[in-house]
Amino acid sequence: MILYKGKTYENSEQEPLFETLEKDCLDTLDNNKSLKPAMVIDACDQLTQNIEAGKFDHLIQPLLSTFDIPEAHFEHYLSMFKKEALEKKVKIELGEDHKTLDPLDENNERAIRPLGILFHIAAGNLDVLPAYSLIEGLLVGNINILKLPTGDKGLSVKLLSALIEIEPRLSDYIYVFDVPSIEIDTLKIFADIADAIVVWGGNEAIKAARTMASPNTKLIEWGHKLSFAYADSSATDEDLRGLAKNIVTTNQLLCSSAQGIYVDTNDREELDRFAKRFFDILNEVSNAHQPVPYGMKSKNAVELYYEDMVKEDTGKRIYKKDGVSVITSDDSALELSMLFRNVWVKMLPCDSIVKALKPYKNYLQTATVLSEKKYEAYVGKLIKVGVVRIKKPGEMSEALLGESHDGMYPLRLYTNIVETTITIEKCKLETPYQS
Amino acid sequence: MGNKALRKLLRHKDPYDVSKTNQLFADAIRENARHHERHCEDYKKILKSFSCDLNSIKTIDDIKDIPFIPTLYFKRHELFSMPYEKMAIKATSSGTSSGLKSKVGMGYRDLFRGFKMIRKLFSYHKLWSFRRVNYFIFGYEPTKHTDVVIMKSANGFSKVAPAKKRYYAIRWDKEKETFKVDLDYMKKHLIKASRQSNPIRTIGFPAYTYFLLKEMQDEGIRLTMPKGSLVTMGGGWKQFYQEAVDKRQFYTLVKDVLGIEEENIVEFFGAVEHPVVFPDCKYHHMHIPIYSRVIIRDPDTFQPLPTGEMGLINLVSPMNRATPLTSVMTDDLGILHEGCECGVDAPWLEVVGRVGVKDIATCAQGADSLMGKQG
Repeated sequence: MILYKGKTYENSEQEPLFETLEKDCLDTLDNNKSLKPAMVIDACDQLTQNIEAGKFDHLIQPLLSTFDIPEAHFEHYLSMFKKEALEKKVKIELGEDHKTLDPLDENNERAIRPLGILFHIAAGNLDVLPAYSLIEGLLVGNINILKLPTGDKGLSVKLLSALIEIEPRLSDYIYVFDVPSIEIDTLKIFADIADAIVVWGGNEAIKAARTMASPNTKLIEWGHKLSFAYADSSATDEDLRGLAKNIVTTNQLLCSSAQGIYVDTNDREELDRFAKRFFDILNEVSNAHQPVPYGMKSKNAVELYYEDMVKEDTGKRIYKKDGVSVITSDDSALELSMLFRNVWVKMLPCDSIVKALKPYKNYLQTATVLSEKKYEAYVGKLIKVGVVRIKKPGEMSEALLGESHDGMYPLRLYTNIVETTITIEKCKLETPYQS
Repeated sequence: MGNKALRKLLRHKDPYDVSKTNQLFADAIRENARHHERHCEDYKKILKSFSCDLNSIKTIDDIKDIPFIPTLYFKRHELFSMPYEKMAIKATSSGTSSGLKSKVGMGYRDLFRGFKMIRKLFSYHKLWSFRRVNYFIFGYEPTKHTDVVIMKSANGFSKVAPAKKRYYAIRWDKEKETFKVDLDYMKKHLIKASRQSNPIRTIGFPAYTYFLLKEMQDEGIRLTMPKGSLVTMGGGWKQFYQEAVDKRQFYTLVKDVLGIEEENIVEFFGAVEHPVVFPDCKYHHMHIPIYSRVIIRDPDTFQPLPTGEMGLINLVSPMNRATPLTSVMTDDLGILHEGCECGVDAPWLEVVGRVGVKDIATCAQGADSLMGKQG
């Protein structure tokens, strides 16, 4: 299903709309009206109220159970779309003075204006992500073209249609298409219309977007990230339990989930003692939560069997039970785990952190530090290599209102600072933030 | 090491006579494993690490004790019992989300035995034809750029009946130097073929077939293909589970758009790491021919599960002597069933899905693959 100027269409009907898209976008830019953030914020606020009233339960409840998201977490996420929350987000990202930037001098004014047209290439790992990306674009007044991820189940179109129903003036600013990633020629049409491509996803998606963007199209990349824990033998059981909880509840699927643990040692035996200690805690926490889905458990069972087959060559030691595992090895490569409660534990002495982790620069996101002795020293080094979030073990994947996205503020990236020399009064900038 | 039992197995008249060939199969498996043990040092090591004594493989109940090798292993290691240059076919699998491909070889004798097996199975299913047919291959056009086994088997399969013309859905774009899916081209020629007298056969990835037919249905295209036309599919529904396309729905779609009856839709189960194909019967059950046995295993214990229970699909076959494919653990979950109205006694395999939630699409996953290159 697709969405064009407030109307939904079947996928098979979308092709003629590619032809009219550019003209429609330019007409919207041309028509003297501008999208006021207040309209977007009020519409989102109303939508959250509708969701709270249960109007979308038939769509949302299955999602919560599939991803094992507790009701309280969902309410927390939802609260981020309420009026005060969105207003706070705008203020944090664009600054307290975003509505009335001080002029540079008596003749030169400044204002924050939308980039114009954004083309969002959304990823499929979270069902609400495509709509979320588009709403961020709307918040600063952009026209948004959204390419749905493969296998989209229609949630984005439903949520965005509901938003337009609440605030029909948004319809000129929302275009949602369902074009497969391999149809480069069509995606190029969208990319050429847009001022910027906002791309979410893995390396393949980022690389594809880079080839699609002509030199005068800006690229805004929200790529995949890796997160991990850094510990030494002074780590408390309580911290290890918190880390285990992050691993079990997120099944290591989020950018902010811990994939593995680095231990400040170069002694393999010490590493294995640590791994065994964590393995017992991980098992205990895993048993207290929903079991791993059968398909994932089966995948990991075969993968662990394989690791067992080749352990003499790889030097890995494997601690496993009921699909949960901890694997130690001699290397210090930062890598994706097998996911779903399978954790690597590797040696990384403190004085090797910078050398070992710097090559991963923009892949780094969250780290948690488990140490009673050298916490600050570890944190300092991790920040130097490019980690942008340092969180408590149990809170690695908690979303906070106003926090940056991978170290950056999207709303800043989706806007321009426009400067004008005032020669005649009528040229004075009208900012979209004037109410 | 001889292969007497295998030769006997291939001479057995009825390709689904499982109960009468159990002992022959067990003997052939022991022979095959012993051959690989002698000619492949790494396989010998694997047997040793599992403390497997091949002398203890005596009856059909013992074949479960041959250590299985996960397909993953073939993706990351080369495991051959024959010098690479002596192989008749070196094939790679069409790859999975991991991007890795299995490397599997076949000797000339393997090929010859494979041909005997195919001849028996296809005669049984009446798939041979002497009429010239138009092939619609929903796979890769053979070029120097392809060595994917699906393509090899699709192209090989298009020799089962003489070809009038072959149309490929994935063709090499010379200008862009890449493969391009061109379903419009297939559509155009399907419409043309419906006006001719020669039957058609479609072969290949069901996903593409499905998408094209769905599009044609949406456009209101209704064709009647010449009598004797067949829709055949291999390559699996596996990439397809997420779409949740029900097979019934697919059969109705084929009937609706191409006018081909359900009984003329033949699906095959096959895997590059398993040298036997399972064509389905008229009830669309993929019975396991005598050249193969399937063990469904519990992912927690790897113990065999009883008929009717879901688990990991372990494929066992003595058909390949170039690569130790004796007992292979696939990435698929399945169920074995018994009893079918078609009259074949052999159990049939239902493939439920690929292990792992497809399109898990973790946001950490992509970052990993590039880093691998950094080492």
